Amino acid sequence: MEQHSDVETVNPRDQTGGEICLTCKHLPGCVQRSKQASPILFCDLYEEGEWSADLVAGIIDKHRGERGGLISILEGIQAKYGFLPESALRLVAERTGRSLVDIYGVATFYKAFTLEPRGRHLCSVCVGTACHVRNAPAVAEEFQRQLGIHPGETTEDREFSLETVNCLGACALGPIVVVDGHYFPQVNTRQVGEIIGKTQVGLDFVEVATDERVFPVEVFCARCNRSLMDPDHPIEGHPSVRVTISFGRKHGWLRLSSLYGSFTIESEDEIPEDTVLNIFCPTCHAELAGATDCPVCGAPMVPLIVRGGGMVQICSRRGCFSHLLDVSGSGA
Amino acid sequence: MRKLQSLDDLIGFRERVSAEKDLKTETPTLVVSAGTCGQASGANDIMRIIKRHILKENLGDKIELRITGCHGFCQVEPFILVEPQLHLYPQLKMEDVPRVIEAVLGGYVEEDLIYTEPQVGTKFHSQSDIPFFKKQTRTILGSNQMLDPIRIFNYFERDGYAALEKVLSKADPEWIIEEIKSSGLRGRGGAGFPAGRKWELARASGDDHQPKFVVCNCDEGDPGAYMDRSLLEGNPHSILEGMIIAGIAIGAAHGIIYVRGEYPLAIKHTMIALRQARELGLLGDDILGTGNDFEIEIVRGAGAFVCGEETALIRSVEGFMGEPKQRPPYPIERGIDGFPTCINNVETLANIRIIINSGAAEYAKVGVPGNTGTKIFSLVGKIRDTGLVEVPLGMTIGEVVHDIGGGPPGKARIKAVQTGGPSGGCIPAEHFDLPVDFDSLREAGSIMGSGGMIVMDEDTCMVDVAKYFMGFLKDESCGKCFTCRKGTQRMHEILEDITEGRGTLDQLTLLEELAVVVRDTSMCGLGQSAANPVLSTLRYFRNEYERHIVDKRCDAFVCKDLVGPPCQAACPVGTEAWRYVAHIARGEYEDAYRVIREANPFPSVCARACDHTCEQRCRAGTSGGDPIAIRALKRFITDRIEPSVYIPVRHEWQEGEPPKVAVVGAGPAGLTTAHFLSLEGYRVTVFEAEPEPGGMLFCAIPEYRLPRDVIKKEIDSLLDDNITVVCNTSLGDDITVDGLFDDGFSAVLLALGAHKSRPLGLDNEDVPGVYPSIEFLKAFNLKSEQLAKGRVGVIGGGNSAIDAARTALRQRDVESVTILYRRTRAEMPAFEEEVEAAIEEGVTIETLVSPTEIKTTSGLFSHLGCVRNSLGEPDSSGRRRPVRIEGSEHVIELDTLIVAISEDSGVDSITPARSGGIEVTDWNTVKADARTLLTSRSGVFAAGDVVTGPNTIIDAIADGKKAAVMIDHFVRGEELVQPVKSLMPTVHLDPVEVDPEEAPDDRVETPRASIEWRKRNFAEVEVGLSMQEATREARRCLRCDLEFVERTAPDVRAAGGHAE
Repeated sequence: MEQHSDVETVNPRDQTGGEICLTCKHLPGCVQRSKQASPILFCDLYEEGEWSADLVAGIIDKHRGERGGLISILEGIQAKYGFLPESALRLVAERTGRSLVDIYGVATFYKAFTLEPRGRHLCSVCVGTACHVRNAPAVAEEFQRQLGIHPGETTEDREFSLETVNCLGACALGPIVVVDGHYFPQVNTRQVGEIIGKTQVGLDFVEVATDERVFPVEVFCARCNRSLMDPDHPIEGHPSVRVTISFGRKHGWLRLSSLYGSFTIESEDEIPEDTVLNIFCPTCHAELAGATDCPVCGAPMVPLIVRGGGMVQICSRRGCFSHLLDVSGSGA
Repeated sequence: MRKLQSLDDLIGFRERVSAEKDLKTETPTLVVSAGTCGQASGANDIMRIIKRHILKENLGDKIELRITGCHGFCQVEPFILVEPQLHLYPQLKMEDVPRVIEAVLGGYVEEDLIYTEPQVGTKFHSQSDIPFFKKQTRTILGSNQMLDPIRIFNYFERDGYAALEKVLSKADPEWIIEEIKSSGLRGRGGAGFPAGRKWELARASGDDHQPKFVVCNCDEGDPGAYMDRSLLEGNPHSILEGMIIAGIAIGAAHGIIYVRGEYPLAIKHTMIALRQARELGLLGDDILGTGNDFEIEIVRGAGAFVCGEETALIRSVEGFMGEPKQRPPYPIERGIDGFPTCINNVETLANIRIIINSGAAEYAKVGVPGNTGTKIFSLVGKIRDTGLVEVPLGMTIGEVVHDIGGGPPGKARIKAVQTGGPSGGCIPAEHFDLPVDFDSLREAGSIMGSGGMIVMDEDTCMVDVAKYFMGFLKDESCGKCFTCRKGTQRMHEILEDITEGRGTLDQLTLLEELAVVVRDTSMCGLGQSAANPVLSTLRYFRNEYERHIVDKRCDAFVCKDLVGPPCQAACPVGTEAWRYVAHIARGEYEDAYRVIREANPFPSVCARACDHTCEQRCRAGTSGGDPIAIRALKRFITDRIEPSVYIPVRHEWQEGEPPKVAVVGAGPAGLTTAHFLSLEGYRVTVFEAEPEPGGMLFCAIPEYRLPRDVIKKEIDSLLDDNITVVCNTSLGDDITVDGLFDDGFSAVLLALGAHKSRPLGLDNEDVPGVYPSIEFLKAFNLKSEQLAKGRVGVIGGGNSAIDAARTALRQRDVESVTILYRRTRAEMPAFEEEVEAAIEEGVTIETLVSPTEIKTTSGLFSHLGCVRNSLGEPDSSGRRRPVRIEGSEHVIELDTLIVAISEDSGVDSITPARSGGIEVTDWNTVKADARTLLTSRSGVFAAGDVVTGPNTIIDAIADGKKAAVMIDHFVRGEELVQPVKSLMPTVHLDPVEVDPEEAPDDRVETPRASIEWRKRNFAEVEVGLSMQEATREARRCLRCDLEFVERTAPDVRAAGGHAE
């Protein structure tokens, strides 16, 4: 891993006069390697913090010895950075003892991997057979026209990358377009502008105040049946759910948004990612624990009684968004 | 969850779960399907609203909610299915949800929202009665509806792990293999290798110390197939159960699920299921104390089609490039890390528990011998009801496409079905009686593959499809075999040449040769089958290839470089619609007129009565909006601009006396030929049987659509010194073909039209009160006789029927008019806008009804015996055949019956032609070569309806233009060929800048006279557009031409608006 040396200046658009990456232009301080004809960017990495050989090494070690290890390693790196940086590949070669050619071969053989940085948003236009016969090529062309890039390219402002994919398995609804994991069914060329627009606003964006899909739930302790709602400390405009927690040697309070589907929390102590919490009722002090484990990560699920009937179970692991809302009393 | 320790534990646990299930009351359950396709359609929103509503109204104990994987009917998502009644509420919006819940609580059906069959309009109260479901056998797919894939209890409630229990109780791996063998199950991944045989080999392979692997292949790379995703997503435990049983059967302790990275939800649900199975003790070491070890891990594919091939898959699992290896050794002998590996497809594994639970003998009863059980197909593409369908093997393609899929979504005919993905082929509609099984499909040049069935219609170009697959295979070829790598590339290049207009017939031969070489010399299945898309389309659709190469035309309007601006390509006479629309947008009306008139000698007529195929192909319409109102814009111009603005180019005949040509029939075809021959200096005599020229324009098209003075003015503008019109002269009575040649005519054109209505073939068709439609229309249009009285019935669904009905409605003594049509409204061949106008005016349309008997009272027509129909198999026209419903006979009281089922030229016209030595068909039309229009007699040409049967005006004009060219060639002794004309724009017109904010979106409505006023007179119904409306409409044009002008010929920019 080479050292990152200082960055050339300066982009005229930069008002702060700070150091700006030559290629990505707007992310101050982007790391690039000097003495390199075409700089390689680590923009996403930069947003995450510092580029770190340790991080990559961690990914390598995690998957070492796993079946199909190399592919998992590359997947891990790409999940982190959005693409496969050359330095990371060199490190993989070094650490796994496989030749760089071999690693380059695998990285270029599979379509999931890219050696180029991708934009903030990835638009995948399905051109599988079913989509193809329903005019998907015209949809892909319209994306090309509106974004001004070809499939496989990224816009200059690094907002959008465009790709065509062979099949996303939602053939009955073709043509399908997936943007950042959001599916758009039966797309025609007239909707392309709208999709791009929505992406710019944020695909997850909902008007909390007016959107019907957002609603608060009122919950009770499963043991003492007392309300856990805390009207004095609203989150997102609604009374929060207040519980006490413990992890490691720490004890404190935790407030959760009562809006269904919202993962906003406030807590007394900073809770590290991946920590499994013990959660208690602030009134009867009983531990709120059920018999079920999180289907995704295996941590215990925390059952809460919901007004109106039913039960909501939330995963006790920080960073796991798994939850089950059973509205009928008999949920499994 | 407590870990189960022994087989008895499992038995006890299962008993408890089913006992609890039986205790559950019949609470109504709302089922929401939230597989990938459901979520894509908005199922998550529906779910949230249901939850919100249940909590708000405190309905927790009155209603249950079940979130499931994909049920297969993806078309109707997002939906709510209400159990136990199986009410299906399709394509719901969030605001509909409370109404559905109210209906469920109230115990009634919300009729506005319940599933209604498209086109037919029948409402279905139970999902099982819906045609899409009715003919399916949903052994595997059916369970997706029953369970929430992330809740293992749901699976147990549905006999989950009962097969495992049975297998463990038997404790006899040989028995499992025998069962699978005698079930006849063949691998569902594509090749159809017997699954039991594979297991037997796998069991025998290796020694006791070697590890063995069971691999579930969910690298569903065939674009267009997604049943594996749906199974893994919707019922992951059933796959795990199949794998564990496979492991026990072959003695393997390691399981791997190889799943595409493109299926995140399937991966998630599988991970959850694995965790649950492990916790319960169904996976791991010494399962339930039986001594069987089995663990499963997930390996995600990273996107390579070839990894579906088993040796490539193994390489990929091992962490290398997925390049296939030479077989043998087969993976059964040496697979992952060199150890025996048994690879089964997801759907194969889903069948295991069914076989074990029901017994091999019972299983083998489904399907046909050699192809037992059911198969899931993804029925997608140009079909009304798309989704996953599960049918017994051996059902015909036609049954799947028409009975389950509901046939075409619109009027375009279904042309072919593509099966087997990129390794498969296209089966044309003529072969839809082919049973779908492994062997029949292979014989037909395709394969079963993983079960993709992509339906293609007339708007699908088969050359483009072949190019698409070849492009796919070229990208996906791993490159190991030279012939595959290079061969697919070269084939793709050739196909590109053909679709872009550079193809030659020699290339077709080369293409076939290459296809065979690649097939014969590649190592793995990808290369060996890569030729199938090309070979099968060449086998069944060679004419399309030739049309691309010879005529430079793509009739499906797909190959852009051949089509150019679609409006122009769609016009039979090649009118540059985009160009005159652009002129209108710029306010250049005279230029617009010249563009119109240059291509079409009947602009005013067509501005009123053309079927405007240009609008059907208009990109503003095909891209999801409304097409430009091109016909109305044409009318706007022809109403304003005098014909004299266009001065055609004339040539004098150079060598001596100009030749004489006889045209028989002064309809649009004949007059067009006369006009264009006259421009070349010919002397043309047009013979017309009626007292006035105009043909069908006068006889058949009612005045309210096409005023007489418009026709007269148009015809007058065409006549000149070179043309003599002789009326009241008919072929046979007054002139003969021989006589015309004797009189010195160098060539004869027969353009007699189709003036005879075909009879129903019932008794009493000649009684007073029953009229053939042409006779009825002629009587009125030419002699003002009003034949219709009282209650009028019109039989037929074409334009002639609509014309007759609307004309009858306007006659003095008519009380009511009813059209009786044997199919549904969707199949009616009449122009949609005419049908609408007729309904507006008060014509009743009864569909799915056929006449059986004409009854009389004292010699006059009085009643019509009828029978109801349902729609059956499609006929040769691709439309579904009406089938009589027994016992639905009934009688309608009528005073007048007009028969408008079709027209031909009639014996009176055809006989003299035949006596002139000209061959005719059995359908009373003249036989003429489609390319040259030459009849069987040299020097005699035929054009228009007399050749085609009843057809549109613009087709007749196009025929007339072609006849002029052919006759000219004939007289000059030249070869009878029409030069291939490029459809690319030749001029550049700057678009008018429109502020995008103000750009209009919706189509201008063609103004019509008020209904009350118009239905009692014959004044023109349609009114012209105002200048403001026309400008607005013209500016809506997407200007498809610009793409081609800018791309192909930058120089023409300089040429400006008018130049050629």
